[in-house]
Amino acid sequence: MAKKQDSRSVAARVLKEVLGGQSLSEASARLLPQLEDAKDRGLAQELCYGVMRWHPQLEALTRQLLKKPLKPKDLDIQALLFIGLYQLLHLRVADHAAVHESAGAAERLGKRWAVGLVNGVLRAFQRQQETLLAKVDADPAVRYRMPMWLLQRIQQRWPQNWQETVEALNSRPPMSLRVNQQLGSRDDYLQKLADAGIGAQIIEATCSGITLDQALDVGSLPGFDDGLVSVQDGGAQLAAELLGPKPGELVLDACAAPGGKSGHLLELAPGLQLTAVDVDGRRLLRVQENLERLGLSATLAEGDAAAPSGDWSAQTYDRILLDVPCSATGVIRRHPDIKFLRREEDIAPVVELQRSILTAIWPLLKPGGRLLYATCSMLPEENEQQVAAFLAVEESARECGIDVPWGETCALGRQIRPGDSSMDGFYYACLEKRAK
Amino acid sequence: MAILDILHFPDPRLRNKAKPVPEVDDSVRRLVDDMLETMYEAPGIGLAATQVNAAKRVVVIDISEEKSEPLCLINPEIVAREGEEKMEEGCLSVPGIYEPVTRASWVRVRALNRDGEAFEMEADDLLAVCIQHEIDHLEGKLFVDYLSSLKRQRIRKRLEKESRQKAVDADGSHKVI
Repeated sequence: MAKKQDSRSVAARVLKEVLGGQSLSEASARLLPQLEDAKDRGLAQELCYGVMRWHPQLEALTRQLLKKPLKPKDLDIQALLFIGLYQLLHLRVADHAAVHESAGAAERLGKRWAVGLVNGVLRAFQRQQETLLAKVDADPAVRYRMPMWLLQRIQQRWPQNWQETVEALNSRPPMSLRVNQQLGSRDDYLQKLADAGIGAQIIEATCSGITLDQALDVGSLPGFDDGLVSVQDGGAQLAAELLGPKPGELVLDACAAPGGKSGHLLELAPGLQLTAVDVDGRRLLRVQENLERLGLSATLAEGDAAAPSGDWSAQTYDRILLDVPCSATGVIRRHPDIKFLRREEDIAPVVELQRSILTAIWPLLKPGGRLLYATCSMLPEENEQQVAAFLAVEESARECGIDVPWGETCALGRQIRPGDSSMDGFYYACLEKRAK
Repeated sequence: MAILDILHFPDPRLRNKAKPVPEVDDSVRRLVDDMLETMYEAPGIGLAATQVNAAKRVVVIDISEEKSEPLCLINPEIVAREGEEKMEEGCLSVPGIYEPVTRASWVRVRALNRDGEAFEMEADDLLAVCIQHEIDHLEGKLFVDYLSSLKRQRIRKRLEKESRQKAVDADGSHKVI
């Protein structure tokens, strides 16, 4: 027997995994393909990402509406309540359909007992919507849809425009592309998009970046399968540009997966000898796939940047891209589950991991060589404070200023405020090893 | 373990009646394991041996989200049923079609487990529906048989058309998306 898969019950199963601690991108990559119809997949994705974007509000409302909390094994029903409320509040779905379909999804999840519960909770919400919203909005974490600890960090970091920043993190990101300059110019590709009736703008800060007016399936992008473009945020595209690889140089991408930046490095400098390393062998396969689609190749190696060993660590490099694991707080608009999954106590361990990676990789840089330290975080301890601490102990390292018209100057390096110039919140610092 | 081919309606072999399993030996256990793997991969929540062209009274079921509660019913028999319930059903042998079917809402089943031991269990809701759906397969019966003949005809035409289309795709003339 086969169960009918519908957008709402599949979305509930994805969200159940996220509420249980899995990342939204992993859970949706695993479960959304069960929906055969592209339209159904689109709705399920919209529901999952929308719910996580609005999670603090939906969670607070559910707490008001439920007499007693649901059991941990019923996270899927919790998710269905979120899905129902999200549709009622933020999607243009007819109210009766939102209630009826969400309740029906409980049955398709094999939990007939919950049909009445979902129905009752959603109807109760409709009756007292204004009062309830006013009540939960009194809490700033709900009003700004950001966990309190993170909201405070953003307020400290940007006392002037923290509200703008929070808004950008809670908004839908544009779909951004990187044009493969090996196969044609950005203008050529804009023309191709125009011919296909797809509205697009260039990302001023980048050499190859474009944002689309509307997100669409990559299958509908001209020449996607032939490697004419990749999907990549504008902020992420600045990494390869800043590292500035030259043909023939030995370059290491030490935390490479899924390989977006590796591909960009090779596009910028054909003939580059790139070694792409990642600690996760399965994710290294993604690097391989990405490079294959672009018709590019690199030496791939599974390895831990915090404890280099193996062939890739037996040589030194002209340039190193160090896109370290981070809190990913700068890319919350693309990964809204981070607001829910990341805890304040996760930050110190990740800062320590970054420190150990930077320390372990530095010896692999040739004297006179250049290392770009990159994060998609907006927290100073992962960014300028990390770099300052490194410079304080590593005598052979010095910072080279990044002279560009985008981003904000920090004591060291450069920060893109999330949403600035339609880009994600990346941080970059360029370090050079003194020639002896 | 291996993934087995699932027969599709209107394949006449789906109409075969399955024979009781005289002894639960290693070959039966291998069939059970292969059927479970095939069902999980499909993905489905129940599979009868008839659907993988094995004329044995063997059924596997797992209605859990986590694929963590595999149930194996060998020589199953419904010894009691109660109530009535209409639920939308689908079938791995009738892909993409979902229609409401009315069945008993509660059943008591007697069967052998994977180790050949006799047991009895009760089931309601989705599990009850699934058990009845799978035992039907062992009798050569499909859920579309509960629909009007007009509806069944339409489904048959649609699936025949789709299988012709797939043959063309496999031929390489079209790209499969």
